[in-house]
Amino acid sequence: MTTARRNVRIGRIGLYTLLVWICLFFSIPLLVVISTSLKTSDEVRTFSIFTLPAAPSLAAWIKAWSSACTGLNCGGVRVGFLNSVRILIPSVFVSVMAGAVTGYALSHWRIRGANAIMLLLLICAFIPYQVILYPLVKTFSTIGIYSSLPCIIAVHVIFGLPVMSLLFRNFYAGLPEELVKAARIDGAGFWRIFAFVMLPMSVNILIVATILQTTGIWNDYLLGLIFAGRDNMPMTAQLNAIATTSTGVIEYNVNTAAALLTALPPLIVYFVSGRYFVRGITAGAVKG
Amino acid sequence: MSAVSVFGLSKSFGHLRVLKDIHLPIETGDFTVLLGPSGCGKSTLLNAIAGLEDTDAGIVEIDGADVTHREPSKRGIAMVFQSYALYPTMSVRKNLSFGLRVRSVPRQEVARRVHWAAKLLQIDELLDRKPSQLSGGQRQRVAIGRALVQQAKVFLFDEPLSNLDAKLRTEMRVELKRLHKDLGATIVYVTHDQIEAMTLATRIAVMRAGRIEQYATPDDLYEEPATLFVAAFVGSPAMNFMPGRLISSTVHIGSARLPLNGYRFRSSPMNGQEVVLGIRPEHVQLAPEGQLEAETLFMEPMGADTLGWFQFGEHRLSARLVPQVARGLSGTVRLSLLADHVSLFDPSTEARL
Repeated sequence: MTTARRNVRIGRIGLYTLLVWICLFFSIPLLVVISTSLKTSDEVRTFSIFTLPAAPSLAAWIKAWSSACTGLNCGGVRVGFLNSVRILIPSVFVSVMAGAVTGYALSHWRIRGANAIMLLLLICAFIPYQVILYPLVKTFSTIGIYSSLPCIIAVHVIFGLPVMSLLFRNFYAGLPEELVKAARIDGAGFWRIFAFVMLPMSVNILIVATILQTTGIWNDYLLGLIFAGRDNMPMTAQLNAIATTSTGVIEYNVNTAAALLTALPPLIVYFVSGRYFVRGITAGAVKG
Repeated sequence: MSAVSVFGLSKSFGHLRVLKDIHLPIETGDFTVLLGPSGCGKSTLLNAIAGLEDTDAGIVEIDGADVTHREPSKRGIAMVFQSYALYPTMSVRKNLSFGLRVRSVPRQEVARRVHWAAKLLQIDELLDRKPSQLSGGQRQRVAIGRALVQQAKVFLFDEPLSNLDAKLRTEMRVELKRLHKDLGATIVYVTHDQIEAMTLATRIAVMRAGRIEQYATPDDLYEEPATLFVAAFVGSPAMNFMPGRLISSTVHIGSARLPLNGYRFRSSPMNGQEVVLGIRPEHVQLAPEGQLEAETLFMEPMGADTLGWFQFGEHRLSARLVPQVARGLSGTVRLSLLADHVSLFDPSTEARL
């Protein structure tokens, strides 16, 4: 009896030791980055990367934010941050709403070929970006909006639409068909049913979709680099430019601070809304 | 004038023909019940009247106007659904008024109608609650209220009571009957419950496999079912059926002879024709000089009366008996079939003779 209990306790200790090691293993890179960003340039060069900063200072963060140089521009990642925000907000809003409308139309209105459209969306959701980059560039330059803010927004909306539509279609398919019928008899049309009946019921799934799109679009590097144009480079592209600048001494402390600044917005989004995220994902999954 | 007229309505889902050339005239003020087993097409027919389902052929008229290609909201109908379909994010008040607000009815008129419907259905206490805070019966009332405020020409009900428990169902049945009487509204009501149909309807259309088998008043349906299917589907406990032969106005069943005095034949059957004789349990009586000799099997007490089961040759017969009489019954008895109440069917066409 007691030996059995002791064995259980030893097992527990083993388990927790293992878990702590795994946690450390995964958090060490993050800890190193944080600690490096708080050091001075000299400290970084003279000591090992695991040494903690002697006098933690935010000087590198301030420099990264406001005066780090990419080539000839020395405005810090602030410029990239503002660009990213300008890309993010319309892209997320349009892609989420377009996905919601598409999902609603595909699930509750008898549309000719709805199943074929669904299949297409499903295939599109899994096509790697790289395959269609070149045709897309050609298309946009033919239209004449290549390398502009509208261009990068359109690209994010296009790439976001398949997954968004699937997500919303599965959610709406779980809602009773009779709701739409009742609203039709009440005299509401396609858009009014969407706005007054469906959308108010979609709060959780809207949050999930917004999180998915926000993190996806914020973290995007490739599309921003190709489609945004020089004046609209997102934060990720600018971060890369700072880190790969080859003139003078490499300021690791500034680079790590810039990396953390870039990663911060998605992290904040996760911390604030993780609860809704889990709830929404399961709601969509079970009912779909 | 008919409130609703359906002419030659047909509908298929792929190869499956769910409605086959349906004709159904519904008079103003009628409470018409579409009755039938699941899959008979009754809900599809209701949806076609509502305009929620496209049809392949045929015409739907409401209040004299051809509405076959009109939107549901332009047909002058209101509908109550089986799942109630209340808008979950809106309060009861908003649920009731949604349709009126969509139609831009003046605000005072909206308030007046909501107040009127809430009073009528005794839900005025619940106006500010959300549907999730209501019981099943209350949700049902709100769903009916949402239809009432429309002041439609025709009300459509799609199995509205089937999600309620037995006691509540009986209560709501009485309520619906009262509403129909008070409002004088035209109602089309779908159900698979024949008791609901019998108690509520002024006319019943019994459906089977996409066709209307009989369209008649509950009394006619019960007393003179037009087909074997209707005879078997309507009435609880169910009608007894026995095959026999018709020889000069007398039905021969085994050794028994049942003379038919004054049976109203719909057709002129041949002498010696095979028939199926149907008789309801209340028209089978214990009688010393009865036509049949049968063995007592067992008794099913049902409260007001007892259903007695008897074996006659290879047939099993039920009879509605007075409980006191039924209690002491055993062994061989003689049963009399009331000839005025029998129904005869052609076994090949299943139609009433």
